[in-house]
Amino acid sequence: MVKITALYVMKCSPEGSDPIILANASDLSSFGFFQRGSVREFLVFVSRTVSKRTPPGQRQSVQHAEYKVHSYNRNGVCALGFMDDHYPVRSAFSLLNQVLDEYQKNFGDSWKTVQADNAEQWPYLDEALTRFQDPAEADKLLKVQRELDETKIIIHKTIDSVLERGVKLDSLVEKSSDLSAASQMFYKQAKRTNQCCTVL
Amino acid sequence: MSVKSGNASIRDRTQEFLGIAERVKKSVSPQNGPTSSGSKREEPPRPAMAMQSEFNRRASKIGFGIHQTSQKLAKLAKLAKRTSVFDDPTMEIQELTAVIKQDITALNSAVVDLQYLSNSRNESGNISSDTTTHSTTVVDDLKNRLMSATKEFKEVLTMRTENLKVHENRRQLFSSSASQNPSNPFVRQRPLAAKSAASNSAAPPLPWANGAQSSSQLFPKNQMDGESQPLLQQQQNQQQQQMVPLQDSYMQSRAEALQNVESTIHELSNIFNQLATLVSQQGEIAIRIDENMDDTLANVEGAQGALLKYLNSISSNWWLMIKIFFVLMFFLMIFLFFVA
Repeated sequence: MVKITALYVMKCSPEGSDPIILANASDLSSFGFFQRGSVREFLVFVSRTVSKRTPPGQRQSVQHAEYKVHSYNRNGVCALGFMDDHYPVRSAFSLLNQVLDEYQKNFGDSWKTVQADNAEQWPYLDEALTRFQDPAEADKLLKVQRELDETKIIIHKTIDSVLERGVKLDSLVEKSSDLSAASQMFYKQAKRTNQCCTVL
Repeated sequence: MSVKSGNASIRDRTQEFLGIAERVKKSVSPQNGPTSSGSKREEPPRPAMAMQSEFNRRASKIGFGIHQTSQKLAKLAKLAKRTSVFDDPTMEIQELTAVIKQDITALNSAVVDLQYLSNSRNESGNISSDTTTHSTTVVDDLKNRLMSATKEFKEVLTMRTENLKVHENRRQLFSSSASQNPSNPFVRQRPLAAKSAASNSAAPPLPWANGAQSSSQLFPKNQMDGESQPLLQQQQNQQQQQMVPLQDSYMQSRAEALQNVESTIHELSNIFNQLATLVSQQGEIAIRIDENMDDTLANVEGAQGALLKYLNSISSNWWLMIKIFFVLMFFLMIFLFFVA
């Protein structure tokens, strides 16, 4: 199963200083209660490192233990995602794109003035995390491709059943033509019996 | 169809026919210079026969081609059935598929040409009806065989995709448990992170499960980060060069996905068209059935009316009853006379 563990939005100042967290959302339910703190620290550290090393306007993917970290730096705002290996890369980047657009819409340029880590939650990021656990949601292309494949399968089944229907219709035509011939004979018989009894 | 599949069931009695024709010719016109009339009569049939033999040659070539294609198809079916999770002869299967597709399209066009040739010939020359029926029968037979070969081809392809899907599922089952080993091409893009990852993976492969160890892992990572700062500059250049391929591959994968979607939509539209054709043909059949049933209804109603009249006439025909009574009396008299 594909899984997103965390999403981060950081402000990356050009060189030197560490990036500053603008928003974060993480799903640490798979870890035990006592590990969550250390895991969170780990995530923060790795996100700072990766976003510092992502040049502006570039996308990057890093493999770390059993996670892939995808980062996208756009005009100094960097969006990161911690996903497992099975998450398709393209969906990951389109998801990061969406997150950045949403952030731009919500907060405008206020992030330029932020100097310290932002501790408040951004609800959009949390719900994005839960929604995009399924890569098809993030990537419209994937969704469309999946639906097209299902449609193709259904169409194949439809064509098979239509062919069967054709066979049955053929047999029906035969039977109905036999019926009509038999009824014609029946009619002729009836007319004949009516004609010859008057002789008696 | 009068022509059965395969030439084995057709006996070639041309020689006997020619011999009989010669004998008849000799007996009918023994003094009319059989040679001159024979030579004259040979001229017109010859171009017709040449075209007939041309037709036959082409038909036999097409039949041979269809036979070869079905053999290749049988081989492809065997290959597709044989695929297992690890030993997948994908290249051969794809090559074979492409070859078979080419063959089928070529045979299709050849059959269409053949039909056109037979039609043009039927219009131009004064050919006997037997020849026309023979040629149309042969062309129909070839078309049927080609269609069945195409259907088999499609079945083999669907079976192969199902097999592939099954194998993919099984592979995911097996490989998800073995995903601890990060054998990932992206590793080379972050040599620094890879180094720390390598040092961490020396520890147990489940970093999250061991809470006690993860905190200790963070500290060595911090130290390593400080040490490897001087190496950063060197590796920045490396990463720059490797970043562009990542952008390209991202764009490429998007373009590829779009093309896939477009081709899928094309196929779907094709299938829809065929579906519409099928349904309209079946609609015709349904109309025929309806007409047949209407005829049956009319006949049965007429017959019912006739029988009703008959019943009426029987039950209310007083004159008929008197006649029957007389006939019965007559037989009774005779019976009494002879017995008593």
